[in-house]
Amino acid sequence: MAVQPESSTEEIRRLRRCINDLVSVLALPAIWTGGGPSHIVSNLLDALVSMLNLDFIYARLGNSGASEHTEMMRIGPTLEPKPQPQEISERLRPWLADDPQKISPVVSNFFGGRDIALVSLQLGLHGEMGLLVAGSGRTDFPQQTERLVLNVAANQAAIGLHEANVLRELDQRVAQRTVELTSANEQLHEARAALEKAFDEIKRSEAKLCQVIDAIPTIAWCNLPDGPNEFLNKSWHEYTGLSPEESYGWGWQAAFHPDDLPPLMTKWREMLTTREPGEIEARIRRHDGVFRWFLIRAEPFLEEGNLIRWYGTSTDIDDRKRAEDALNKARAELAQVAQVTTLSTLTASIAHEVNQPLSGIVTNASTCLRMLDANPPNLEGARETARRTIRDGNRASEVITRLRGLFSRKNVAFEPFDLNEAVEEVIALLLGELQRNRVVLKPDLTADLPAVLGDRIQVQQVILNLIRNGSDAMSAVDDRPRELLIKTESDEGSAVRLSVKDTGVGFDRLTEEKLFEAFYTTKGDGMGIGLSVSRSIMESHRGRLWAIRNEGPGATFWLSIPCDTNT
Amino acid sequence: MKSLDEGGAIQRPLVAVVDDDESVRESLPDLLGEFGFGAGVFASAEEFLASNSVGRTKCLVLDIAMRGMTGLDLQQELKVRGHTIPIVFITAQKDETVRKRALEGGAVGVLLKPFSDTALLKALNTALGLG
Repeated sequence: MAVQPESSTEEIRRLRRCINDLVSVLALPAIWTGGGPSHIVSNLLDALVSMLNLDFIYARLGNSGASEHTEMMRIGPTLEPKPQPQEISERLRPWLADDPQKISPVVSNFFGGRDIALVSLQLGLHGEMGLLVAGSGRTDFPQQTERLVLNVAANQAAIGLHEANVLRELDQRVAQRTVELTSANEQLHEARAALEKAFDEIKRSEAKLCQVIDAIPTIAWCNLPDGPNEFLNKSWHEYTGLSPEESYGWGWQAAFHPDDLPPLMTKWREMLTTREPGEIEARIRRHDGVFRWFLIRAEPFLEEGNLIRWYGTSTDIDDRKRAEDALNKARAELAQVAQVTTLSTLTASIAHEVNQPLSGIVTNASTCLRMLDANPPNLEGARETARRTIRDGNRASEVITRLRGLFSRKNVAFEPFDLNEAVEEVIALLLGELQRNRVVLKPDLTADLPAVLGDRIQVQQVILNLIRNGSDAMSAVDDRPRELLIKTESDEGSAVRLSVKDTGVGFDRLTEEKLFEAFYTTKGDGMGIGLSVSRSIMESHRGRLWAIRNEGPGATFWLSIPCDTNT
Repeated sequence: MKSLDEGGAIQRPLVAVVDDDESVRESLPDLLGEFGFGAGVFASAEEFLASNSVGRTKCLVLDIAMRGMTGLDLQQELKVRGHTIPIVFITAQKDETVRKRALEGGAVGVLLKPFSDTALLKALNTALGLG
């Protein structure tokens, strides 16, 4: 009975120790947190060797078959003489190579003649994590509580190792991912660098393009599809002195001449509707207030039928325009000179035409007065002479009307007129002169020709010039009739042409080329501007003037003038 | 040829008018008649030369610018033929060279159309030695 309490006390003491050991073992994972497998195992071995008072404890991490495994050993303080861990591990090796489960609990003469009891525990369900071998020379080893502590410890270790593995794997994955991310990041950096380089390239190219656009000696611009301006190059800002802010949208209108803006806007609106390219001339104010003429051109930029932008240029044509004006003025002056020349050479025939009937009037009127003054008055004679006076007066009046029509300088006015009528008027004016020059005039005017469009007076001057030239060309002809054939006919329906054919001296090939040049003449008394001015007059009518040599003697001059398309 | 006083009781001095302008040929004879002259009219120099009036003509009123033979041509032709008929030229064109040539050729005067009746009368009287 006495033993009973003692053994009970011993039992209680042992159980308490076991509980303490278990609590300690269960507390171990807290220390392991974050540690690697060797840290966990090393910590565990330390705890167990002292806790269970073992002679040694051995651990192998990883499968024995695996190429990589770690062995660890703790030797208890009680084992004398102290062996080297290698010695124990050598002793264990034959078993461990075999199935560890078959390790016999007690190994005789394990070390230094001592019998050692061994407890082998698998780490992990199938020992995949390793093996734990505890050895003690105590005869009561392993007690039940000790086996329990070892089992719990092995389980704890397995859990700890598993977590460590998971962690390690996680770390590896993180590391892997980090490597991948770093690589991706590097690629990203490279791509970004390439992009920046390309962007720089584009910026440089854009700068270059801008430089080109700004450097071109004309105003270049870009408008939005519905009209307002989006961009104007440097030329514009330098010329007008307007800032980009002042010019964008519709601000540019401020620089245009008030007289030119309405037609410009009309044209622009028309182009916006039709989406057709177009051009117009307008004056733009320079920064110093001077207006200069510009030719403004615009092209629509379409993409798959959609209007994206309007691109345009405004080119300074002021100098050209001035030159054109000067040329027109010179041409007008030349025409004026030609007219004066024609007039001066015509003065003789005008005087003749007018003075002839005037002479009759004066003579008749004088006679009439004398007859009335006679005693007795000759009333019959007076009546007759008075009648003649009136008739000659009307004749003179007709001549003057014709002359006034031909030579009173009106503004150049294009209007439809009948070419035949115009020709007949010129013929009537020149008839006396032609008769005196013994020129036989043969008019052949086609009836019912369409009206032509032009300045009647100018065209009549050309016709007059041609008839006089024809007459002059025959002045030296005595061996054949001096015939002048004047013909009008339709010229392919869209124009009417007139020919003046003479039997005069004609012209040779060399002359043919120079015929219409200014200041070229075959006449001793001419200025040589009649034909060149005549041609420029016809060209201003969109008509033509040319000459051909006849099969027989003489030449034929042709003019063609477009019909009035409105009739 | 037309002569107003052929066979008239009083022999009027015959003045011949040569002009290609009809209004002159119509009007001048009446005025010459009022002056007391006989008048003959011809449309061209050729017509006058071909007529039988050349010898009887006391004075010639002659146009300068005419188709065919001009007034100056006729002046020369008459000289060649030995006729010394005084000539009063009439012309519608003022041309100093022509005027000079006419006067050098012996013309009594050159009248610019339109001329007054008194200017003509004065020239005729000079030509006929009446003034």
